[in-house]
Amino acid sequence: MTHNTDTSVKTEGVWKIFQTDGLSIEAVRDVSLVIGAGEFVVLAGPSGSGKTTLLNLLGGLSHPTKGRVWIADTDITDMSERELARMRLERIGFVFQAYNLLPVLSAKENAEFPLLLRGVAEEERERLVSELFEKIGIGGLEHRRPSKLSGGQQQRVAVARAVIGKPALVLADEPTANLDREASRALLDLMVTLNRDLGVTFVFATHDNELMERAGRLIHLVDGEISSDNKQVVR
Amino acid sequence: MNGRVRLLTSLAWRNVRRQARRSSLTAAAMIVGLALLMFSRSLAEGAHEDWIDAGVRLGSGHISVQSPEFRDRATIEHRISPGQIEQIQEALSADIIAAEVTATAPRITVRGLASSAAGARPVVIMGVDPELESAFSNLADKLAEGRYLQPGDRLHAYIGTALASRLRLRLGSRLVLTAQDADGEITGQLARVAGIFESGIPTVDEGLIHIPLATAQEWLAAEGELTTFAILLRSSKSVASTFESITSRLANSSGLSVLSWHETMPELDGAVRVDDFGDMIFHGILLSIVALAIVNTVLMSVLYRVREFGVLRALGLSQVQTGSVVFIEGLILTISSGFAGMVLGISLTMLFFHDGLDFSFLFDSELTMAGIVIDPIIIPTFTTSLILNSVAFITLIGVLSSFYPALHAARVDIAESMKFEA
Repeated sequence: MTHNTDTSVKTEGVWKIFQTDGLSIEAVRDVSLVIGAGEFVVLAGPSGSGKTTLLNLLGGLSHPTKGRVWIADTDITDMSERELARMRLERIGFVFQAYNLLPVLSAKENAEFPLLLRGVAEEERERLVSELFEKIGIGGLEHRRPSKLSGGQQQRVAVARAVIGKPALVLADEPTANLDREASRALLDLMVTLNRDLGVTFVFATHDNELMERAGRLIHLVDGEISSDNKQVVR
Repeated sequence: MNGRVRLLTSLAWRNVRRQARRSSLTAAAMIVGLALLMFSRSLAEGAHEDWIDAGVRLGSGHISVQSPEFRDRATIEHRISPGQIEQIQEALSADIIAAEVTATAPRITVRGLASSAAGARPVVIMGVDPELESAFSNLADKLAEGRYLQPGDRLHAYIGTALASRLRLRLGSRLVLTAQDADGEITGQLARVAGIFESGIPTVDEGLIHIPLATAQEWLAAEGELTTFAILLRSSKSVASTFESITSRLANSSGLSVLSWHETMPELDGAVRVDDFGDMIFHGILLSIVALAIVNTVLMSVLYRVREFGVLRALGLSQVQTGSVVFIEGLILTISSGFAGMVLGISLTMLFFHDGLDFSFLFDSELTMAGIVIDPIIIPTFTTSLILNSVAFITLIGVLSSFYPALHAARVDIAESMKFEA
């Protein structure tokens, strides 16, 4: 298999098998896919179809039982925990269903967290956070703690945290599931804009029909296997 | 401090503050634990110093210099010559030693008989310099009747109440002392009772007599000679170093043996060690309770925040960095509580108990042990080493008890942690 720098993430014959109470559960079965840089991809499927598990494999949050995973041109399959941590820090952003902001940090501190870990200078961090917060419509909320933000605002901070380091890939697991319709639509608009304007690659796992409709590529999973993989003309 | 360490420390500090109630409870356990530890250790330290002081003053000092054979045989045959006494005094004049020495007592000690019209009793007869001895020994303070020996006394004797009773002696009564002199002859000495003491130790009250040193030397044909040169130090803590200094300075003086109180009073040494061991067990239990309190709080906090640790890992923190956040939380709790506990322990002890704690309600009569009378009033003593040791202990406990929760946080399965509901 060849790789090029336009590949954001790629899997080859990936399986994830869980052992529970003596039973083998095949959560992901022989998945091979290539997601290019700048794509806006949705992994869809019923509950238990393996969406989240596949997302975790793509983000190096868990190791495949079989097969290989690449982020851009780097094979992460056999990486140590330390190497994976560095890979996640430098090349992957995450957005979670439950926002998962750190409660003891302000909105600004949450958003700049990856930059702090990378050792980016304070002035540069200030500038990037300020610009991004204005762009995503939460300017002025920098110093609020997560508990003082609405669900929609928290998820925007989470998106800011995911994209601020200009990662090769942003993985989002049910990012709109906890939001009302209006907040969900606004967040979706935001991510579409970031994808279009900044070229950020997004891969979502979702049940959200509106998100599926606006995806550039829709991959359906059934019982851990890809049942369909279609490019869409949307937005 | 680099940016990442500052970030992890800041996270840890904010987490400690975030769980204010839980952190306060743990801190309270540690503060009370350490304060109790400081109080208990200062009492033990004070009691041991009292025991040792009482023992060495009545005995042969923190350090004594004798003829090597005197320790085993205790006969006048094994004496220190005037030349050797000069060597000892020269050694003691060294600045490093003189700074530690508070008193010295030249003594000549023999076993003999004390007799009166009522009978005879075996006794230890100690020739002492009245002035030096009263600064050295606490026997002069145990006066029951009369007075202690004074400079210029010749035929005066200072005896215990039990001996006075057995020999039916009173102030001014005459008694005859009989012992073997330096020439091996059995010789007698008349003496008159100048004072009667009550030390509370039956063997001392019944069997020890002080007479003037000059009288003893003349009587025993040991002019200018001694059997023991006893040395009292500022504190028992300086025994080891001063012992080394004296030993090295007398290394070239043959026929002299330098002994510490550990050797001359093995029973007292054993009693202190046994008590130390008991304290160690008590402190071990106390510190274990404190350690469990820390483990409980930090581990509960970790279990409650599994998803948060998963997020930290997903954002790019390594396992070591994630564990470090928890470890630093434990250290913050330990160091802040440790400091507060130490200040509280010292303050309360010194504020309420600086005059000592009176334990006399625990025993009806005087309590003796290992040849000393236990003073029922114990004055807590704080030394730098006690404080540093306690701080080191509590820090060690904090480090050890934070380690497991930190390991737990570092090993969180990221994918699984996202399913966790706090």
